[in-house]
Amino acid sequence: MHVHELNPRRTVITMVIFVVVIIVGLHTLTSPRLKYKISPTDAIIMVSAANQGVDASKIDNMLSASNNPTILIDIRNNYDYARSHIASATNISAVVLLSKDNIKWLNELKDRNTTVVIYGDTPLQTNGPWMVFQQLGFDNVTFLKGGYNYYLEFKDAEKKHVTIPAFEAGKANYNYAEIAKPRSIGADNESKPKKKHTVVRRKKKGAATAGGC
Amino acid sequence: MIGLAAGLLVLPEKENYVQITPEDLMWDAVQPTKYFTVDQVAAMIIDGDPTLELIDVRCVKDYDAFSLKNAINIPLDSLLSPNYEGYLGIEDMNVVFYANDNIKADQAWIIGRRMGYQNLYIMQGGLNSWIECIINPQEPGEDNPLTVFEQYQFRKGASIYFTGSQLEASDKKASVKVVRRKKGAAVAGGC
Repeated sequence: MHVHELNPRRTVITMVIFVVVIIVGLHTLTSPRLKYKISPTDAIIMVSAANQGVDASKIDNMLSASNNPTILIDIRNNYDYARSHIASATNISAVVLLSKDNIKWLNELKDRNTTVVIYGDTPLQTNGPWMVFQQLGFDNVTFLKGGYNYYLEFKDAEKKHVTIPAFEAGKANYNYAEIAKPRSIGADNESKPKKKHTVVRRKKKGAATAGGC
Repeated sequence: MIGLAAGLLVLPEKENYVQITPEDLMWDAVQPTKYFTVDQVAAMIIDGDPTLELIDVRCVKDYDAFSLKNAINIPLDSLLSPNYEGYLGIEDMNVVFYANDNIKADQAWIIGRRMGYQNLYIMQGGLNSWIECIINPQEPGEDNPLTVFEQYQFRKGASIYFTGSQLEASDKKASVKVVRRKKGAAVAGGC
């Protein structure tokens, strides 16, 4: 006969502790450091919304605002940042954006309602990190339309006092169906080398030998 | 036992797919390995690569006007609709998203990758790049390395393949013109 059978209360206590340990264990297992705040379906609705991002023409005013100025983060690598970057941008490469310290800092910015603008060279480079931030619930994070390349182009045009059109993503540059339609054979023939006509001269049988007396 | 059963109630609800962590998603999102160039895609279409699954994420209207050969149309906003569930996550299939440019395809990629689907890719440059490189390739300058010329040769061939130009030689045999001297004609030469 075991000891605990004499004391049923002890059995219950052991059981309860066992269950509590399992529940706590399972909860810590399934709670990662960062969690998605919106579902994939909502994320699609979010990215499909119009007017995402900040225009290159507006960014300077936002950065120099006296009240809660915007924070600009350059997400390219250190080398690209060292070569040239937008003045007042902080460099945090995309791969370390989610490190513990950065998340803490971004949370502070979010609590202060500070807008954070991220940029890479191209819109494509910026899109991934921006979408990750949105899905993590950092809705104060936005991006620079067109990326750094477009920003430079814009600045250059501004110096020359010309205006270039606002950056537009996802535009079809061509009428695909028109350009890629089956081409006519006639148009193709022009590029083909023409077949040579071979001219053969034959002497007639029994004809007089050329030359001689 | 009742305690254990009660414990199950507090467990978080499990989704039917396994999402990857935000850290992994961020890491994967900035890797260059997620792209296929238009040349790679063209080569796969021409070779009839059975592992290629092209997904056009533009709207239905654009897809109807023009699409790549054998591409499936899944507009971005219905990517997660149950109708299309079976198209993602097929073993050994390389899913290649494309749109007008990179952005929409990349958005589809991010969502798909978050949901844990493997072997997702983006056709780099989208259809704009497809037209520039494959349909209307520009002849490279003379100072380019040989590989550029080889690529141009491939693109020329691919352009013919995709625009349906008929380059087969015509059936007519080369005509041979025989010139004969007239009968009784004076003998050339002589005294």
